[in-house]
Amino acid sequence: MNARMFAARVALPVVAAVAVSAQARAADFEWKKFQGKTVTFLANNNPVALALVTYKADFEKLTGMTLKVDGYQEQQMRQRLVTVMNARSDEVDVFMTLPSREGEQFAAAGWYADLSAMSKNEVATEYDVAGLSQALLKAGTFNGKLTSMPMNIEGPILYYRTDILKRCGVEKPATIKDVEAAAQKIKACDPAITPFVSRGLKPAIAYTFSNMLHNIGGSYMANGKSNLCSAKGKETLDTYSRLLRDYGPPGVVNYSFQQISALYRSGRVAMSFESSNELRTVLDGGERLKDTGLAPFPAGEAGQVPTAIGWGMAVSAHSKQPSPAWYFVQWATSPEIQKRMALQGIAPPRPAVANDPEYRKWIDAEPVRKEWQAALDVLATKGSSEVGYPIVANPESREFIGQAVQDLILKQKSVDQACADADKALDALIAQK
Amino acid sequence: MSDAAATLTQDRQRLELSALSAPAVIFTVAMIAFPVLYTIWLGFQSFSSTGRQSFAGLANYSKLISDYEFWHGLWVTIALYVLSLVLQLVFGVWLALVLFHAKRLPGIVRSMFISPFMMPPVVAGMMWLVILDPSLGAANYILQSLGLPPSEWLASPTWVIPTVALIDSWQWTPYVALIVLGGLQSLPPSVYEAAQIDGASALKTFQRITLPLLLPTIVTAAILRSVDLLRFFDIIYITTQGGPGNASNTLNIYGFRVGFEFFNIGYASALMLTLTAIVFGAVLAFNRLRGAVAW
Repeated sequence: MNARMFAARVALPVVAAVAVSAQARAADFEWKKFQGKTVTFLANNNPVALALVTYKADFEKLTGMTLKVDGYQEQQMRQRLVTVMNARSDEVDVFMTLPSREGEQFAAAGWYADLSAMSKNEVATEYDVAGLSQALLKAGTFNGKLTSMPMNIEGPILYYRTDILKRCGVEKPATIKDVEAAAQKIKACDPAITPFVSRGLKPAIAYTFSNMLHNIGGSYMANGKSNLCSAKGKETLDTYSRLLRDYGPPGVVNYSFQQISALYRSGRVAMSFESSNELRTVLDGGERLKDTGLAPFPAGEAGQVPTAIGWGMAVSAHSKQPSPAWYFVQWATSPEIQKRMALQGIAPPRPAVANDPEYRKWIDAEPVRKEWQAALDVLATKGSSEVGYPIVANPESREFIGQAVQDLILKQKSVDQACADADKALDALIAQK
Repeated sequence: MSDAAATLTQDRQRLELSALSAPAVIFTVAMIAFPVLYTIWLGFQSFSSTGRQSFAGLANYSKLISDYEFWHGLWVTIALYVLSLVLQLVFGVWLALVLFHAKRLPGIVRSMFISPFMMPPVVAGMMWLVILDPSLGAANYILQSLGLPPSEWLASPTWVIPTVALIDSWQWTPYVALIVLGGLQSLPPSVYEAAQIDGASALKTFQRITLPLLLPTIVTAAILRSVDLLRFFDIIYITTQGGPGNASNTLNIYGFRVGFEFFNIGYASALMLTLTAIVFGAVLAFNRLRGAVAW
């Protein structure tokens, strides 16, 4: 059989059959299967959810279902979720979750529906589960159960003012030590500018602190015990708190992402560690568009081990309509919607979307967006989703990390005392089952 | 109609009225009783981090005794309570006297004086958070314009309690003033006329007549504010979340975090019931005081 005959008799029919089969599968997927149903979505009013709900009408048109959005600020959303879940109520079908924070806890409490089967069997062809960030899918898998689908990818990165660094003769910092040296120079060069800022609010500290700990080469736990008093742990506590105490703004112990973004946008800070997700807020108004540079979180002795997390969409284990709920999750995390959200500045958890020509055009339109994407690429390839202790009581563990850092910022304890107190409390927490 | 028949009719009417109002009464009692009884029950339960539940007896209450955060929270609650109450009563009485004597004050100015307490506490908290921001806020700008050193306000472990007390007093002093103003307007003018004839000075009149006669009203205002102040939550939650460190971690904030962030609903219930007992104790003490100062 020559090549032409092979193409005509074997290859083309096989290709055609595959194509027809894929089309048939796509055609088989009936988006209007649950027409008339109402899905309730408990959302955190952050940029990710706010971008998503702008397409609410499209979902309702596609499926014929009604989407009821129950939106709150992050902590109020969790408060509502705890109440609903403890009451085993079915009034929430889909909720937003941070697997890196509460994943272990919610999974152990049985609050997540298992999405493993639905994500294999009830999917439209174009959905492409494999196209989602495997690291984030893994972060949302507990005991072999897939509990949430990633909505975005984010992590702490370095925001810096190109004009201030240039004026003060400072190079873009590549390492944590460079950040401190740069801060020192900026402080001497322009006392009116706050050289550096990062999260100082107790429960918020773990987000940026974890990245520094991993880059320096430390770990939260060793041999089942808390490890903050290890040499690397103490170095991180000392460096993080010293940067904020000596070069941070007054009142930094109350700073979370809102205050940091506001301070940066106002033009009064030269460098900050903040979430990649804050780009839209930081550039809001356009004043920082031309003088902002972005870079991955600076390296430590262990190189770059960036923190990469993502908000996920989970179906409630108490939902009486998991399949319609899954339809909404599938639509919201589909390539099409994630591309549209990406054009609003929500980093896509799909490499394919990141390479989409329309998205690339948007990225290429501004140098700062190119740097943002480059930093996101580092997150996507090298990211670790460990924020705080990898234990069920992760949210509580963040309190003790934050307390140790604040004790040092406020000079209330020595490094040895702060880490010893934190380790003692954290060992008790680790021992809890 | 005979007496017996009249009594029968009255009894019947009473029965009918009771039957008609019973659903509302039962509903109201149930709405109050159920959460209280449920919280009492929860206080005897233990919840693991994963939400697993088991009977704990008095373990949650014995844990309170050795819990540093509980005692610290109690201290913060009492410190905030005392400081705020004193500020609000002193300035509330002063504001009431100003409004009482400045009879020509236009209505709009009077309304402005009392407007802060109409603002939702969350909005007030957000507003003050912006004003007191050490880097971007107006408060430090004003201090520095006057040649004074800037303050860290809510970010200072030393100043956070006085600052929160000031915010709360800004909001609720007008409320106290409104209550006291009502009391002032009801005082008998004859007593003042007699004092005037006797040649009493303004200060003496205030010390010997106004203040003693106003005491029952002031105590009533103190009771109303005590209930709110001991449950201090919203402004702290918005401005500091109990920080810096745990410097403004009141019992209410601590209980909320234990319950809704760490999922230990049993221990949180024990904390909240203890706080409820403290509020009840304060109200009973003030009620006795009100009885003692009544005229």
